[in-house]
Amino acid sequence: MTTTVLGISGSPHRHGNTETLLDHFLEGAQGAGASVDKVVLKALQYSPCRGCNACHKEGECIVQDDAIILYERILASDCLAVASPIYTMGITAELKGFIDREQYLWARKFILKTLYFSDDHIKRHKAVFISTAGLGWDNVFDGAFPIITALFNTVGFEYYDNIIANDLDRYGGIRQHPTAMNEAFEKGQKVVRVLEKLKAP
Amino acid sequence: MPIKVLAFAGSPRRGGNSETLLDWMLAAMAKEPDVVVEKVALTEANINPCRGCNACEKLNKCVQHDGMDIYHDKLVEADVIVLASPIFCMGLAAQVKALVDRAQVFRSRKYVLKLPIVPPGRKGKRLGVFLATAGQNWDHVFDAAVPSVKCFYHVIDIRDADITYLMVNNVDEKGAIHNHPTAKADAEKAGRTVIAEIRKRLAG
Repeated sequence: MTTTVLGISGSPHRHGNTETLLDHFLEGAQGAGASVDKVVLKALQYSPCRGCNACHKEGECIVQDDAIILYERILASDCLAVASPIYTMGITAELKGFIDREQYLWARKFILKTLYFSDDHIKRHKAVFISTAGLGWDNVFDGAFPIITALFNTVGFEYYDNIIANDLDRYGGIRQHPTAMNEAFEKGQKVVRVLEKLKAP
Repeated sequence: MPIKVLAFAGSPRRGGNSETLLDWMLAAMAKEPDVVVEKVALTEANINPCRGCNACEKLNKCVQHDGMDIYHDKLVEADVIVLASPIFCMGLAAQVKALVDRAQVFRSRKYVLKLPIVPPGRKGKRLGVFLATAGQNWDHVFDAAVPSVKCFYHVIDIRDADITYLMVNNVDEKGAIHNHPTAKADAEKAGRTVIAEIRKRLAG
């Protein structure tokens, strides 16, 4: 079975620094033999979580829109790459709007106990966070990590790696960054090889 | 001139824990003389996310026309700005993050165009409050929200030291905050303290 890699771009800005970095990751993965697909959140129709907690009773979200379809696709993928630029010290509102919609899966896991991921499943499902920031501060990604961790945990993926590049205002964009583009490509190749090794009998 | 308080109820769940905490604070503030309070429910405020187009770096305004047309001016005029958010998935609710990101126009004004946010006479005479509630009982549950909040206040000329925080964890179901031993008194006390401080600053 071909390894499937799903990339999700959370930037409202098409083909900017973050999406370009995601594209390189996906190219690397494809080069290693994976079947890759990219979803741009900006092009989907979904609303943020209403906080109604209706999902706590049935494990289903009462808002049936593109967010639910995308969660089903995530659950059917072997590798997940989630990409967001840093806006105001955090992920974009588009990506946060999507992540907040995971509540129905959280409810299945922790309230209804109808969804469970074994350690073996988690080991075979790897997720990568891809991000860029204009600012050069070391702590510029710190507000993003806990939210991404929450997402990866909820969908049963191991938080495998980060591909992050800050200080892009100074570099003048991702293409001028000395290492990030190669890193993304190589990590795309590597994660597919690691996942395929895990599948081998 | 009355003290202007602008408050954002960030939760999509109306009347829930974070909004209750906010209402307790706003009621205490409104009891003080010469205070005008305006509360905005973000779920009804029609504020779209930032598009990341950076047009505001040139135009000094946003190309989008939505609820921010009104709240942009109100954010400049207010003496006290209160932001209330529940914690969803370890961060600000998406509705709050949309408001925070739309402050990009102020960041462009301040750092790219080098224009003032408030007139020089009002510098240091603005205060911020961040109220949050979380269902989880972890101490670190607010850690990812705070840097975005600081950034939001920073670009609208409210200094780090002028932000008051009241963050209550371990309140999950609607109404749970009513059973919290100190939240109501803490919100009321913080509200009175903020009004006393802004009154002093505005007189100075």
